Amino acid sequence: MSTVDTAGRKAPRKPKPPPAARGISPLRVLGKVIVWLFTAFNVFVLYWLISASFKTPVEIFTQPFQLPRQWFVLGKPFRNFVYAWSQAGFGEAFLTTVLLVGASAIVTVAIAAPAAYALTRLGVRGSGPMTNFFAIGMGVPFQTVIIPLFVGMAKLNLTNSLIGLFLVYVALSLPFTVFLLTGFFRSLPDEMEEAAAIDGASPFRTFTSIMLPLARGGLITALTLNAIGLWNETLLSIVFLQDNAKFTLARALFTFYGAASYQSEYGGLIAGVTIVVLPMLVLYIVLARRIITGLTLGAGK
Amino acid sequence: MATVSFKGATRYYAGVDKPAVDRLDLEVEDGEFLVLVGPSGCGKSTTLRMLAGLEGVDEGQVHIGDRDVTDLPPKDRDIAMVFQNYALYPHMTVAENIGFHLKIGKVPKAERARMVAEAAELLDLEPYLDRKPAKLSGGQRQRVAMGRAIVRRPQVFCMDEPLSNLDAKLRVQTRTQIASLQRRLGVTTIYVTHDQVEAMTMGDRVAVLKDGTLQQCDTPVGLFAKPANLFVAGFIGSPAMNLLPQGEHVLGVRPEGWRITEDVDGTPGAISATVEVVEELGSDQYLYCATPEHEQPLTVRTPGMAPWQRGDRIGLVPLPDAAHRFDAATGERLPG
Repeated sequence: MSTVDTAGRKAPRKPKPPPAARGISPLRVLGKVIVWLFTAFNVFVLYWLISASFKTPVEIFTQPFQLPRQWFVLGKPFRNFVYAWSQAGFGEAFLTTVLLVGASAIVTVAIAAPAAYALTRLGVRGSGPMTNFFAIGMGVPFQTVIIPLFVGMAKLNLTNSLIGLFLVYVALSLPFTVFLLTGFFRSLPDEMEEAAAIDGASPFRTFTSIMLPLARGGLITALTLNAIGLWNETLLSIVFLQDNAKFTLARALFTFYGAASYQSEYGGLIAGVTIVVLPMLVLYIVLARRIITGLTLGAGK
Repeated sequence: MATVSFKGATRYYAGVDKPAVDRLDLEVEDGEFLVLVGPSGCGKSTTLRMLAGLEGVDEGQVHIGDRDVTDLPPKDRDIAMVFQNYALYPHMTVAENIGFHLKIGKVPKAERARMVAEAAELLDLEPYLDRKPAKLSGGQRQRVAMGRAIVRRPQVFCMDEPLSNLDAKLRVQTRTQIASLQRRLGVTTIYVTHDQVEAMTMGDRVAVLKDGTLQQCDTPVGLFAKPANLFVAGFIGSPAMNLLPQGEHVLGVRPEGWRITEDVDGTPGAISATVEVVEELGSDQYLYCATPEHEQPLTVRTPGMAPWQRGDRIGLVPLPDAAHRFDAATGERLPG
């Protein structure tokens, strides 16, 4: 054995990339340019939205790209948000939406997870066609069934009701969630279940103690995607909710849009949009890392 | 503690007409370490999985002790299994992994902790009890998988290639540890491997399978000294036995079964050969020799540091007791 003499040697600041990655190909440059343009555009829109939510209507139109000033000079920087929150009923709508979206997303995953597990793992006869049946559900745009859906719900006295909208949300979210989770459960190793069977766990115990924790990444992904989708859902809430007190954020924003543009209250309107957009952005930023680590969680050797 | 017996056990896989395991009859003594060995696809893992209850039995029966377990689910068979990739629960700590069966069996917490600690002590796992499997080395994971099996004190251990994910050096160490642990615990063990060295070194008896049928089941010495047919002769022993077709017979001579002579023409019965490759292992030397009569080179073992070199012409004479004879048509061993 000889010790390596490191004196007088310096590690490169940036290790050399593998030969294939070196050199500039036009396609790579083009790809980078497109990706960066796309990113820059999105960041710009976000900047415009957030800065405009602190501006007066005059500022929004005359100085669209500058930083906000006038409300800060007047000492009321959050005036637009206060306006949107209290005047437009966003406060109430926010609570309604959090509860409705939270309950819908959780119940959807709570139903879809056992279904996906049973469809992929229990070897039930006809599980293939049944999985496909769920997948077909994804292919039906809900806009096409909205009228019969409304008529049906009206007969059940479930229109203009948050419970009714909750049921519709869960039902319409199930196909995608089941599909997502079947793919996830299918990728889990068989040995886990076999080990659990030999350890004496019942199928239910195996599901709750072994498979669900292993599928955590998939469950969080399903929860997040459903929450974002339902949070932004507007059409169904417009159709099903008529009562101001039951409005969701997207629905309230739609009403507020009419009122605010009539009163030229564009600052308040944009603050309203920000209130709708920001929570999901934050949710995604917080959970993105967990989603990714969850998806790559290894169970084997 | 219990015996294990397969009685005409047969397993078909969907869409394949040929059974994966065909009418297997095998008796395993109480406390015995039996190794199932064979090339991949020979049915050894299927056999083990039938015993564990992870695979159905299409015909025949499997007995543990005097119980017919053919149709019992795994949990009622009183067996423990070590999987090839260990199948540790990644979200549980080592202690939880080892104690999962006890937890399901509603063993009181204090009792459970004591049993887990006992198993951990046996396997030198005490410092790692609070870690998750992802934070362990391959060898440690393998020991956790063992711990999960021994904490149950089952009637039978099933081990499905538990060493194949370890590096060569660790594999040799662990091999000895498992064998000595099994002897200490005295639990009947069925061990599957494709590695004939593992089979020979660990098993009380070794069952050789090929294409779903049992070729021979005997002690390592018995297999080596009296292989029942050409397949076993070629499979057991490393390097493999030289098999020389001679009309209706096949002559089998192990690499160490040759006498080497330099006087090729003056020795009656000597096979004239030219050394093509010399493998020097230090303790032994293997010569791979080309002969005019045979396509396959002949393997010859000589003491390490022997003077032979590539290109040497030598004569090979089988030692009197080292010649095995087989029927060329059936492959069966001929008496004598």
